Amino acid sequence: MSKDQVVEIRKQAIGQSVPNKESATLLTGRAEYIADISLPGMLHAAFVRSPFAHAKITHIDVSAASDMAGVELVWTGADVLIHTPGITSSVDREGFVPTTQPAIAHDIVRFVGETVAVVVATSRQIAEDALELIDIDYEELPVVANIEQAHAATALANEAVPNNVYFRNTRVNHEVDDAFSNAALVVDGVFHNNRVSAAPIETRGCIAQHEWTSGLTTFWSATQMPGILRTMLAMFLQIPEQTIEVITPQVGGGFGQKAHVFPEELTVCLLAREIGRPISWIEDRQENLLSATHAKHQLNSMALAIDEAGKFLAIKHHSTTDGGAYNCLPWTVGVESECGAPIVTSTYKIELARAETIEVATNKCPIGSYRGVGYTAGHIARENLIDRAARKLKISPFEIRRRNVLLSEDFPYTNATGLITREGTFLETVNTLERMVDYDSFRQRQTAARAEGKYLGLGLSIFNEVTGMGTRALNFLDLPITTHDTSTVRVDPTGTVTVTTSLVSAGQSHATTLAQVAADALGVPVDNVVVRSGSTANTQGLGTWASRGAVIGAGSIGRAADVVREKIKQIAGHMLEVSPADIELADNGVRVAGVPTRSMTMAEVAGAIYFAEAAHPENFDPTLEATATFDPADLVLANGGHAAIAEVDIDTGIVRIEKFFAVEDCGQMINPMVVEGQIRGGIAQAIGSCMLEDLVHDENGQLTTTTLMDYLLPTSMDVPDIEIEHLETPTDLVPGGIKGMGESAMISAPAAVVGAVNDALACCNIFIQQYPISPERIFQELQNAPN
Amino acid sequence: MKRVAEDELIQVRTTVNGRSYTFSTEARVNLADALRYELGLLGTKVGCEHGVCGACTILVDGKSARACLMLGVQAEGRDISTIEGWATGKELNPLQESFRRHHALQCGFCTSGFLATATELLRENPTPTREEVRERISGNLCRCTGYETIVDAICDPEVAAFARGEQSA
Repeated sequence: MSKDQVVEIRKQAIGQSVPNKESATLLTGRAEYIADISLPGMLHAAFVRSPFAHAKITHIDVSAASDMAGVELVWTGADVLIHTPGITSSVDREGFVPTTQPAIAHDIVRFVGETVAVVVATSRQIAEDALELIDIDYEELPVVANIEQAHAATALANEAVPNNVYFRNTRVNHEVDDAFSNAALVVDGVFHNNRVSAAPIETRGCIAQHEWTSGLTTFWSATQMPGILRTMLAMFLQIPEQTIEVITPQVGGGFGQKAHVFPEELTVCLLAREIGRPISWIEDRQENLLSATHAKHQLNSMALAIDEAGKFLAIKHHSTTDGGAYNCLPWTVGVESECGAPIVTSTYKIELARAETIEVATNKCPIGSYRGVGYTAGHIARENLIDRAARKLKISPFEIRRRNVLLSEDFPYTNATGLITREGTFLETVNTLERMVDYDSFRQRQTAARAEGKYLGLGLSIFNEVTGMGTRALNFLDLPITTHDTSTVRVDPTGTVTVTTSLVSAGQSHATTLAQVAADALGVPVDNVVVRSGSTANTQGLGTWASRGAVIGAGSIGRAADVVREKIKQIAGHMLEVSPADIELADNGVRVAGVPTRSMTMAEVAGAIYFAEAAHPENFDPTLEATATFDPADLVLANGGHAAIAEVDIDTGIVRIEKFFAVEDCGQMINPMVVEGQIRGGIAQAIGSCMLEDLVHDENGQLTTTTLMDYLLPTSMDVPDIEIEHLETPTDLVPGGIKGMGESAMISAPAAVVGAVNDALACCNIFIQQYPISPERIFQELQNAPN
Repeated sequence: MKRVAEDELIQVRTTVNGRSYTFSTEARVNLADALRYELGLLGTKVGCEHGVCGACTILVDGKSARACLMLGVQAEGRDISTIEGWATGKELNPLQESFRRHHALQCGFCTSGFLATATELLRENPTPTREEVRERISGNLCRCTGYETIVDAICDPEVAAFARGEQSA
């Protein structure tokens, strides 16, 4: 069977809000996160990090640190270079400039926070004390602090990147100029998206243990991608892959930040092999903000040509990513603009498009993945231009979208960038949001509020989301990568079910949702299924990112369960003296279709397979487990939309998000409670990312927001209660009709937040194009407003 | 005030979750690390070590406190309550149960801090309004849930009944 096979799953547990199986462990403090693991003889690592954005290391003396009581080993870049050149990251595209980030910098540092030395000691406190005894002289080099300086190229951020350009691309290049010349209306803007951090509450961390007698290395990491990490440790450190086990403990949030392979992980692995004792590294918050990848930093020029009827004619998009000093692994610097350009027309019928992208090198922490990868900044630009056009045309923001979204009669529709949409509820989303917002009464309320000196605004954004990222989806994004993810399903001797999967969880409730899938695939109760993930000893796969868990999980578990199911039908048919085709799996057992009294329990069937050869048909293979991959036959597109109502206090510049509305169509939901949890959490991040969060660098490339007092995460006072409605358009590409959805809110909700503020201030001729929208920004906009 | 040498270990006697402990620690070790690594109570999490994220919130003499902003030696003579003490045997307390029912946690890393803050609030006021809950938990950061289900869990009527019982006990 092919890897995109869609097996049948009988819906029973699927669709129910089954409570999270992991909750009791998490609610009693009994879950084991990376910092909770302690191994006999374990040592602790701490890193010296560069205080300069770009400098030559002219002198480094570790002798005082090495001599300190409790210090086991100190390494600099030169020591680690013997073992590995570092992390080389590239993508197989013509003209793309690869980089190699040393495991520890040697000779030159290229961003503030880059590792310069590491101390291993008997406690973290001693390791940190010893860091201060390392004597380092730097000679500062010219800093490329921003996109303008990167383009000027009077200095290079990284000498491996000529002209500070990693890559430039034209994803689509239609002749759009005539459309713009003849358009009744053109709206355009230059949008400065801010640099943010995914900032999970648990920082990064890893532990390495190496046993030289057996040659086995065990590596614990708070990672979203244990399989990739294992392969990369093998490749970059020249360790035989079969000797490495990567274990993922409970992970305290990832959001894409933990979907990378980091230089610290390479270093810690090498140190454990060198010293022969387990070594733990737990990052602190400052290190996390400095060096655990940054995100979303795009500069976008966008223009939309519109006819007199409000129909979109053409779009022009030019996106620049402030990429930092190296390519992250595995995504590279293309993670932002390159992933955003292919979906620039979103759910709209825009026949003509031009989308150009460029990624530049700067002396900053590498840009990496964060929920809504690539999409967020472009969505803010496009949806806000659409709102602006609606205001100019004096039609409602719902109406202008109604006139332009893909309709069911358009399917299948191939858009300007080659994306094929086969289904979706775009019009229904717009109409549902309009009803939820109660648009007419909102406008009345807005007018009444204005009379009282209050500024209310409504923002709207609709989206599609490429979910369950497999080979087809990555290739559509111009990433020539093949995905490979397995799950194993076993019916145990007593008839219970054990699933092992490569899809680790960082709060996505896989232990519950994937158990629901397996339960329905085999007709057993959810409580009879256990889902184990978190070790590469079990199954191979690329991990949990890009809204993959539901799709890849359902697909691979479904396919593996199907093999087991056929075995069960075979023996049950033999024992009940009917054709295997007449056997159904249901109610924790098997029965003859149409004759429910002729049945056996799952325990009886499994017992016969494992322990009663006499019951087996001739030449029966009793293996009651199977491993299967899944890679969807095409892109699995979910869709939906968001609306926000904001009140702007023009005296203080403070914005209060008053109401939030979300519509999600992720096909058949596995667990509505979990789906809604993902939506709410994503919306909180959306509010944070465009209202509060900002990684600020000064002109020397120095990060000035290195604590959570400066880098502001949204609190319970910033995020309102959220109204959610569901549409369910199943896909035929995935068992059960399931689609992914984990990133949706961070794709689209930021555009609605920005749109709400812009709508509130449109009466002042203000259209904010630089984020986050801090009180100071609003004050400045009011100062500079035309009247 | 007693003076100690930089690396001198100080003996601390304290009560955690109703049980007496004696441990020795350096003066500079914060209370979160002392609980985690001296007493093995790993349910208290550390997210920022500068008192902003609230993940390490515990109850000290019944009042919520940031364990990362106290020193281990300040536990001397105190009555401390941490997440390990809140379930009875294998039974979640009604607040924990409400968090489970309302899906008020995802990755779980911030959860013990929220439970501590909510426990303190509910002892003062068993039936807080949503606004009062939002105000009180605003010192605890959660990156997963968007807070709404945490508010739902704390405002659940079954929790109020439990909290009233706690208050009168």
